[in-house]
Amino acid sequence: LFSLQSCDKDFESTNTNPETTAKVYPQYVFTKAQYDGTANMMNFLLGTMQYTTSYNDVAGFGSKYNAAQISQTYKAFDDAYPKEINELGLVIKAVKNEPSQVNLYAEARIWRVYCFSRLTDLYGDIPYFQAVLGNDSFVFKPAYDPQSAIYADLLSELDAAAQSLDAAKVTFGASDLIYGGATDKWKKFAYSLMLRLGMRMTKVDANAAKNWVTKAIAGGVITTDDDIAKMSYLSAGQDINKNPLAFNLWNSDYIAQNGNTNTEGGKYHEVFISYLKSTNDPRLPMMAVVWNNKVADTSVGLAKGMPATLTNAKPANFITYSEPNPKTLLLMNSPRLVFTAAESYYLLTEAALRGWYNGATASSLYQNGIRAAMRQWSLIGGKDGTVAPTAIDNYVTANALNTGGSFDDQMKQLYTQFWVSIFPDAQEVFASFRRTGYPALVPNNYAGNATGGKFFRRMLYPLTEQTLNADSYQTAISRQGANDLLTHIWWDK
Amino acid sequence: QSALLKGVVKNEADQAGIPNATVILTLGKSQISTTTDIKGNFILAYPAGNQATSFQLTISSVGFEKKQLTVEAGQAAISVSLKAGGGDVLDNVVVTALGVKKDRKAVAYAVSEVKGSEFTQARENNIANALSGKIAGVNAAGLSTGPGGSSRVTIRGNGSMVGDNQPLYVINGMPLDNTVPGGAPTVNGTTSNVDKGDGIAGINPDDIESISVLKGGTAAALYGSRASNGVILITTKKGRAQRGIGVEYNSTLTMDNVAVIPDFQYTYGQGLDGVIPTTLSDAQASGRKSWGAPIDGSTNYMGVDGKTHPYVAQKKNLQNFYQTGTTFTNSLAFLGGSDNFNYRFSLADLNSKGILPGTTYKRKTFNVALNGKVGSKINIEALAQYNLEQGHNRTGAGDALGNPNWTPLEIANTADVNWIKPGYDSAGNETIWNDAAIASNGYFVINKWKEDDVKNRFIGQASISYELLKNLVIKGTVSRDFYNYNYYNVLPTGSLYTPLGEYVGLKSDLSETNSMLNVTYRTRFAQNFGLSAMVGGNSRRFANKEQNITGKQFIIPYFYSVSNLASSSIRPVTARSTTNSIFGSADFDYKNLFFLTFTAREDWFSTLSANNNHIFYPSVGGSLILSDALELPTFITLAKLRGSWAQVGGGTPDPYAIYQTYSNVPSSGQPLLNVTQDVNLQNYIPNPNLKPYTSTTYEGGFELQTFNNRLGLDFTYYNRQTTNDIVKTTISSTSGYNSVIMNVGELRNRGIEMLLTGRPVSRANFSWNISYNFAYNESRVVELAPGLTSVQIANTVNNWAFLQHIKGQPYGTIVGTTMKKDAQGNVIFNRGNHLPVMSDLMPLGNSVAPYTMGITNDFHYHNWGLNILLDGKFGNKIFSIFEVYATRMGKLKSTLPGRDKGLELKGVDQNGAPYDTTITQAGGVLRNYYDNYKVYSDLFLHDGSFIKLRQVILSYNLPVSKIKFAKVQAASVSFVARNLFILYRDTKNFDPEQSFTNSNAQGFESIGLPRTRSYGMNLTIKL
Repeated sequence: LFSLQSCDKDFESTNTNPETTAKVYPQYVFTKAQYDGTANMMNFLLGTMQYTTSYNDVAGFGSKYNAAQISQTYKAFDDAYPKEINELGLVIKAVKNEPSQVNLYAEARIWRVYCFSRLTDLYGDIPYFQAVLGNDSFVFKPAYDPQSAIYADLLSELDAAAQSLDAAKVTFGASDLIYGGATDKWKKFAYSLMLRLGMRMTKVDANAAKNWVTKAIAGGVITTDDDIAKMSYLSAGQDINKNPLAFNLWNSDYIAQNGNTNTEGGKYHEVFISYLKSTNDPRLPMMAVVWNNKVADTSVGLAKGMPATLTNAKPANFITYSEPNPKTLLLMNSPRLVFTAAESYYLLTEAALRGWYNGATASSLYQNGIRAAMRQWSLIGGKDGTVAPTAIDNYVTANALNTGGSFDDQMKQLYTQFWVSIFPDAQEVFASFRRTGYPALVPNNYAGNATGGKFFRRMLYPLTEQTLNADSYQTAISRQGANDLLTHIWWDK
Repeated sequence: QSALLKGVVKNEADQAGIPNATVILTLGKSQISTTTDIKGNFILAYPAGNQATSFQLTISSVGFEKKQLTVEAGQAAISVSLKAGGGDVLDNVVVTALGVKKDRKAVAYAVSEVKGSEFTQARENNIANALSGKIAGVNAAGLSTGPGGSSRVTIRGNGSMVGDNQPLYVINGMPLDNTVPGGAPTVNGTTSNVDKGDGIAGINPDDIESISVLKGGTAAALYGSRASNGVILITTKKGRAQRGIGVEYNSTLTMDNVAVIPDFQYTYGQGLDGVIPTTLSDAQASGRKSWGAPIDGSTNYMGVDGKTHPYVAQKKNLQNFYQTGTTFTNSLAFLGGSDNFNYRFSLADLNSKGILPGTTYKRKTFNVALNGKVGSKINIEALAQYNLEQGHNRTGAGDALGNPNWTPLEIANTADVNWIKPGYDSAGNETIWNDAAIASNGYFVINKWKEDDVKNRFIGQASISYELLKNLVIKGTVSRDFYNYNYYNVLPTGSLYTPLGEYVGLKSDLSETNSMLNVTYRTRFAQNFGLSAMVGGNSRRFANKEQNITGKQFIIPYFYSVSNLASSSIRPVTARSTTNSIFGSADFDYKNLFFLTFTAREDWFSTLSANNNHIFYPSVGGSLILSDALELPTFITLAKLRGSWAQVGGGTPDPYAIYQTYSNVPSSGQPLLNVTQDVNLQNYIPNPNLKPYTSTTYEGGFELQTFNNRLGLDFTYYNRQTTNDIVKTTISSTSGYNSVIMNVGELRNRGIEMLLTGRPVSRANFSWNISYNFAYNESRVVELAPGLTSVQIANTVNNWAFLQHIKGQPYGTIVGTTMKKDAQGNVIFNRGNHLPVMSDLMPLGNSVAPYTMGITNDFHYHNWGLNILLDGKFGNKIFSIFEVYATRMGKLKSTLPGRDKGLELKGVDQNGAPYDTTITQAGGVLRNYYDNYKVYSDLFLHDGSFIKLRQVILSYNLPVSKIKFAKVQAASVSFVARNLFILYRDTKNFDPEQSFTNSNAQGFESIGLPRTRSYGMNLTIKL
């Protein structure tokens, strides 16, 4: 039947998987990393930032901090490393030593900074320098790095990557779903992230913050609608190709499109809708509808948010509460705004208020921020998201920056507007909220909540880290404080 | 000079020759033995000097009663007829590795044999389930997944941390595939998380002549790595030479009912916060919640059907939701042949209806066995089996979506499940019965979800043997076990959670092909020495080609075709592996008193790197028949000592474990690529340095038969050690990967097995046989990889509990949290939120029962027979996911405290100061408080020990001799029952054997189908 000499003949071909390739194609992995990095959103923070809520406390965890669901806070950590962070590691390894691939390298580094910064902002100290080396170096228990060290490296990475971009060289092209490979825009995105991360340090290290903010502004940040960093999506096809927030909201709640049988009992939060109504915000109909005889009604008069105090019992008037507008936020092919001109303007406003920037007045920067924020809804919803120029003018006039107020008064106004403008990027708002204290939201003291009726200050490391990476985990806890929702991370001290 | 005794051994019933029968001639203290040829003929040579005296002849064969007779002085020829049946286990010849029949005396390790007839009366759809309680050290259990479900069998504990721990099934000497298409279900899955049935489920019990269980590595050494968990050898029935055609007919009808009804509270009824629902909206909000008012018969209670009902307890929801399941099995076999050619052909039809309305499983089996002789030196054998297995609406388990079992278990205790019938409205859309769309309406699942699977399976074997020289036989065998499997699961249009529907499909073409060549030689020399030697080689090829189809959103509603999906993707899986082996064995005996066996095998694995891909391993064993060697007291009929040592090596069964590769990710836009993921869609790190693992077993034991076989004892001690186990180890996700494949540490199983047999009464018309088996297995994770203290193998929905292998603990420890307590045992509360402080993760118990036992009583009175089997398992824990939810829903008695005056919390706070406060119903505080108990795993953990009345068979053999009009050889009618009562259990709310998957993830109850008791009638006729 066979001879002894050939006992392992054909073994290599037998053990080669015909469905896989042995080679990395960095551009295709990069696209995956863009999808994964953008999809890694802590959606329940929409509840924490009081945009949305649910009568069901599982889905309403973010607005209720219900203790039984704290495992929801593990998710970003669990997802990030095996997905976008590892993928970017593969891309970087493949292009790093190729001078001709410098733009691919730089863009992967910038995107990695974006992904890592979002992660450390949620958890504080995290594995960074030794992360995702499992396959290459058999590092199975990476050390947790102090957030201060992570920030220092993120910022210097941005600096180095931005400077290395070279318009004359090859790019990711169509595989780059954010900018189609445009190096000038990647440069602005890099400096915009530098502005964001630099400003993050105001509480803990004002000097460093000032240095990085000034450096970022000098480098050139995103200020035009055309430069906005946004991921593009498809309306149909595989789930991964769809806007992850729209997809999530649709599938977890609004798929029935009748305002009544919302899968997980979700609606807009009363605090958000009340605020928009109180300021006559022209974006309210772009954002919210009320279902009325199976018709999605955008009438401002009907708009009403649901209280976050409902205890696992569907209210009889559930249908009368506002929910996301299917023609804007729920469009699967609407872009996900990663970094907007509005955000740059608001950060520049703060820089101006702090005296770190004098290229324009705080009030004009603030006004530009609001205008940009209003305009960006047309990116999300096309004509259904377009705010009339006169409405913008009226709103800007009615909501001018109170330049006569104290620094704190102006910060309050600025970051309340930031809350309205940066929606639905709740994760970024959660960061600025922790840093500035604004908007001045009142925490929900829900029965059986995990925080004693206080706002989260961070997310919890997954339980599995206690056993799978025990020593590193313990070191991080002893440095940063208990693995608790109320422990303040480095820049939030 | 020798004298010759020629003879023929025949079957008393049909006078056909019995091949391979053992014939032993006893001359004083020495014995001379031989076996019969295919026609039943034998020739024995003995010293001519003994011709003048008479001597004893002993003839035995599997399936026949042993016969002893005296050969008169000078007699040269003899004809012996054996009676079918066969009595004492110890007297029989047993089937060992590679189908070799050995005299039981010669076997150096523990082996147990069960006759096929034990499986054909009180039937289990899956034959492996029927092993439960019958053999010491064999832990067999059926799953609670409905008809057509899988089984889980482990022998002497679990030898591999994450690999397959089930034994190798071998049919007529060749391996059988026992995989579950697409893999076993998981503890925490949702849609399409169904048990698709394993390979052994396809074997028709009527085709089985006998089952031998080879427990240890020694027994299995010739089969290689896959046999390190033991081997279950199935010998199928063959035809035989006879006049005319033999016909066997067996018909069984059994019925199934839910065995355990949970012990729910019926003090407070449906509602929230102590309030009875009086509007439809209230009723829907609390459809699953029993947090209402005291059940007082109020008449203002609004049900979820929109009608008012009396507010009274509804205690029959499980009985109303589930029906009586039925299984109707009919099998017919024809057999016959001549001296040179015989055949057996059988047909079997199994038709099962599950306890869940709409669930069915059908199995048709066609089996043909041919044996023939070409000329005087060539024997040919062929076996072909074709199965058609069809499952319909197999039930999912795990999380809520599409799991119908949630409805009867979690519906409010004053609501009647009948109120939510039929589960859909006039348009076909799911109707609301509770506040969470993900908790599907069970009737909608029964009536609208669709699951169908079809398995076409073929098992073919052919062998040719050629007698080169006298006693030197060369034999070639080829076998192929192949199936083609098609499965789909439709989450229909109109479900509340996914209104547009979803589709999951699986196509799998799987095959296992073995080609074996071996040469055997047997001889006797110097009068007293016997030698039997064998060398051979085997090539095993495994291939699986799968297509996993997933899709979303049926474009045209209610039209369930893949072509009608808004988006779909196909994930191809190709897995191929080859293991080549050479092996040999040598068996010596001295005067039939002392036996020695050596085996050796070398395997080459395609799944490992070229420099590490082979391993050599030997075994040695011996036995001594003390009772023949020494003068022992006369009450000792037989005393045998045995001992053995064996090594078995193995490679990873999974291909592609050594190099990292990259795979496309389904995309409708730009191409996407990522590292290749495992079946759970997680990243893993392959390892080029993997080397084969080894499993080393030593065992020793003795057999004792006393008082003329009236009382017997068989005892074994074994120690089984697995080193360098190939383990897919969970690692911190911060490494970028969820697991790495490594050679990890050391796992030890050691224990004892004991079989006590007795025949208190043995008269012509009345006999009573009793058999008690007991086994204890101590498992221990001795060592993991350096720096590694635990390996995770499973987790529940939402991580309420984990299953880990922890250094120093037994295999499969359930890990979770508890309420933190101070040194005085006071619960420590968090003053901020009143909740008990959660402990760190800690080991909570063993998922595998270390103690197993079974006791069988067999009574025969004239034509009546009564068989009663009790079995039990002890010392394991089980975590209940159903109880986690039932706590949230307020259905358990444990949620009663605090309903009227509030729940007093007493203990200390985190600073050690006394803490005393009361939690009240108002505003959902109390039920949220109880819901939060889910974070304390130990509250839902129970002792899994049980004793069950596993089987009762009352049979009556019809007096066939009185039937004049037909030539009936035998006929019997039986009343049969399986799993009749649980005599002892600690789990109040479910059957402790409530397992849902046959993977290593045991120790979790996952809201699967309830387990059942079954009873019915059986009729057997032989013409």
